[in-house]
Amino acid sequence: MSALLVTVLASPAFAAQHRYEGDDPGPGLTAVETLGLFVGIPALVIAVVYVLVFVGTGSRGPRYRPGVAWRGAAQWWGGPVDAERAVQSAQPTHGGGGARAHW
Amino acid sequence: MPTGDVFTERQAQDVERAIAGAETDTGLHFSVYVGPLGTSTREKALTLHGALGDQAARSVLVAVDPGLRQTEIITGADAKRFLDDHAAALGALAMTTQLSAGDLAGGLVNGLRTLAEHARHPQTLHLDQP
Repeated sequence: MSALLVTVLASPAFAAQHRYEGDDPGPGLTAVETLGLFVGIPALVIAVVYVLVFVGTGSRGPRYRPGVAWRGAAQWWGGPVDAERAVQSAQPTHGGGGARAHW
Repeated sequence: MPTGDVFTERQAQDVERAIAGAETDTGLHFSVYVGPLGTSTREKALTLHGALGDQAARSVLVAVDPGLRQTEIITGADAKRFLDDHAAALGALAMTTQLSAGDLAGGLVNGLRTLAEHARHPQTLHLDQP
């Protein structure tokens, strides 16, 4: 298995050193071209995938994660119209019931 | 109150729909508060419930403090007749399973649904307001 792998990997290197009649390897790549081909293009692909993945989540603002401090603004559905004033002048409810839970 | 930036528009709509559904099913008033509840969460939640004014007696308040990881459900004197403390505890349990996974809106919707299921009752002439 490893012998086969070595052969497969070595054959292009071997071919580079031994010219055959009629083959035309063409001019070599410059350093800039090599970098662009083997570093620049992969980096560009990675950047595009990264943007596609995070473009939605990044613009969503703070998100709740258990155990992480809460930064969001208070929100009240079905509350009084002027919530702040209503809470300041409110008396705690008596005679009701309910339940509580911690997670 | 205006929608904050914590919930996406879709999530806020889900919660609003769950509240509307619970109110239609039960004839009670449902209110959901998400925010800080201070050090004594029960007292603060009772005050918030009291702030509902005339509606308080037939209101169910679901208060969640994500920072303290505490949820309080308060039922008014009239609401308690249809939603006893055991049912409220079941609602709280339904919420915490999803809240502990970080799904704030999903927990609220599930909790409201559970509460509404238990508080559902046939309308009684002269006893239930339309």
